[in-house]
Amino acid sequence: MKEKEKKKRSRRINPATAMLSAIMTFFFLGFLMLAVKDGSWQSFLLAIVVPVLIFVGTAGIPKLFPADKLLLSLTNFLCALGVLTLYRLSPSRGLSQAVNYGVGVGAMLLCILLVRCIRHWKALTVLMMGGSLLLLALPLIIGAEKNGAKSWINLGPVSMQPSEMVKLALMLSVSYLLSRRKIVLSILFTGACLLLLMVQKDLGTALLYYGVALILIFVATGSKMLLGAGLLGGAGAAVIGYQMFAHVKKRVAIWIDPWQDASGAGYQIVQSLIAIVNGGLWGVGLGLGNASVIPEYYNDFIFSVILHEFGIVFGLIVLCMYVFIIIRGVMIARRSRTVFHALLATACASLIALQTFVIIGGNIKLIPLTGVTLPFISYGGTSMVSSLCVIGLLQGVASVNEAGVKEDRSLAMQGGNMP
Amino acid sequence: MASEAYELLALLMRYVFVLIGALVLLRAFRWMRRDAKNYRREMRALPDAGLVGQIVDLRNGKSQPLPREGDMGSSHECDIFIKGAGVLRHHARFAFEEGKGVLITPSRHGKTFLAGAELRAPGYALHGTQLQLGEAALRVRLFAGLKVPQPMAYQPDAPLTDAPLPYDTQEEDDASFFGDSFYPGPDIPAPFEFPDQPVTADDSWQQAVSTPQKDYDGHYTDDGQMTWQYAYSMEELYQAQAALNQPPPPIDSEPENDEALPYQSPVARRRRRERR
Repeated sequence: MKEKEKKKRSRRINPATAMLSAIMTFFFLGFLMLAVKDGSWQSFLLAIVVPVLIFVGTAGIPKLFPADKLLLSLTNFLCALGVLTLYRLSPSRGLSQAVNYGVGVGAMLLCILLVRCIRHWKALTVLMMGGSLLLLALPLIIGAEKNGAKSWINLGPVSMQPSEMVKLALMLSVSYLLSRRKIVLSILFTGACLLLLMVQKDLGTALLYYGVALILIFVATGSKMLLGAGLLGGAGAAVIGYQMFAHVKKRVAIWIDPWQDASGAGYQIVQSLIAIVNGGLWGVGLGLGNASVIPEYYNDFIFSVILHEFGIVFGLIVLCMYVFIIIRGVMIARRSRTVFHALLATACASLIALQTFVIIGGNIKLIPLTGVTLPFISYGGTSMVSSLCVIGLLQGVASVNEAGVKEDRSLAMQGGNMP
Repeated sequence: MASEAYELLALLMRYVFVLIGALVLLRAFRWMRRDAKNYRREMRALPDAGLVGQIVDLRNGKSQPLPREGDMGSSHECDIFIKGAGVLRHHARFAFEEGKGVLITPSRHGKTFLAGAELRAPGYALHGTQLQLGEAALRVRLFAGLKVPQPMAYQPDAPLTDAPLPYDTQEEDDASFFGDSFYPGPDIPAPFEFPDQPVTADDSWQQAVSTPQKDYDGHYTDDGQMTWQYAYSMEELYQAQAALNQPPPPIDSEPENDEALPYQSPVARRRRRERR
């Protein structure tokens, strides 16, 4: 009996290995199907290269850098899903996204090191606060308007959205300030950032900043009064934004009834809803859909494309993966040894949660559409790099926690408070 | 490939993709659950995880666990909750720094004393350092094994000033075989029996010989009893044992040596005067 149990145990596969092999199989089959459809060598090559890269990224990185493997696996799955979906609709964008992914992984490793190595954040926080305000003011001076918001700056062939980078600085700065109980300063800094975003008319990003700061302030202080005041302030700002900006009024009107101007202003959301309904529960099949008729299918409406080709059931699975990433983030926050690390992990988890909710809610007409990207999947270099940086910060906190547990273990071995 | 055949393949593969996706999700769920279970088990084995020592309230002898960082004050939100005259809601902030000790950052509005001197700028507390918030007298106790500077020798009746010690510790150190001024030496038998102690007398001697600095880093066990191999001095050891036989004073009782405190809030001082 015992031998049988031993054999059973030895046969039981490690969940990490099983998960990694399932992810690799998924993308091997996905790219192989596209290769079969197109008959191109590029797709065949990707069918081999992408799973190998996933293997290296998930199993190799934790050997060099202390990283949370589960978080890494889920993130890699979502990033590779973005590459697959984009490659299917527009091969050039797919390849470009793969390059963005590579750059994002490099940025993620840097963020892990940043959290692990920096002990004194005071000077860096001051620097980040000044830099953030400067970066947010930059598009107002040399920026270009895109989709109603003046939040982009063009640097020759490259264009970037400074608010994506400031997002990271805001999380780090507010977490540090709140960990030192500098509540007023953190509110003032967030308010200044929000004001600059309002002037840029980038209301989607402003909503994210506001949400993250509010969650952080509530978590750090536990004050229901501050939470209530923040919610009231947010509601007031939303009303003012609605009255001030014509494009906000238009978006709300589209959200209430997109069919009143289905071929004009409501075209985007109407096409998105049609694509989701066409896909049904199981999707139309990879390579068989025509979701490219949705404007901005590669960016704001990538989730509709996934629902169209892979189906609503698969969409729910993707949603669950985001939920798992958020739960993992909260677990990392709860295991943190210092207030700063706990707040930073909370900020990362809440940012991913809010961003995912805002864009998926916009795609399925749950809330008015705002111009934010779906983390890890949407096309865009800045978005991909900033999303992976958020994961890098989470990974950094996780590795600091791990180091803390090791220290506790050695402390217990050396005497500690053990009787 | 013919478009009909590809269509058939794509329609079939929809289910395969959902199946693999569900498998990934299931594995992730099991992984997360197993990780949480392992973490809980580990935390049960390490009850002091995340802590660096204790803060002992010298007025009533009660101790509170000392986390790596946090606030101390009279607010229930604080990590170290201290009630007493002159203690602010958020009186001071503390953060353990490896190799340095516990950095105490006082509030600008309250009165804080570290080892008898008023603290206006952040200062480090080591093992055994006396801390006073308002009128609450506390002692910092750090776990053995932490990388912090060696504490000064403990003096039970030492005044809260920088007055010279009543004896020459250097001479005593030189005379001691193990370099510890209060170390009684292996030839001196244990003063009393400790049947419930997890480390026997013989083991502790052996332990002390192998790591002689260890018995410097003393601490109390959960029930307030001092483990004798960690005692600073024989005198402190006798005091700890004697304290076991005495009921602890009520929490709200007046400290006996309140006159000796370097700071008393004016309100409390007036109340005391009126009471007398």
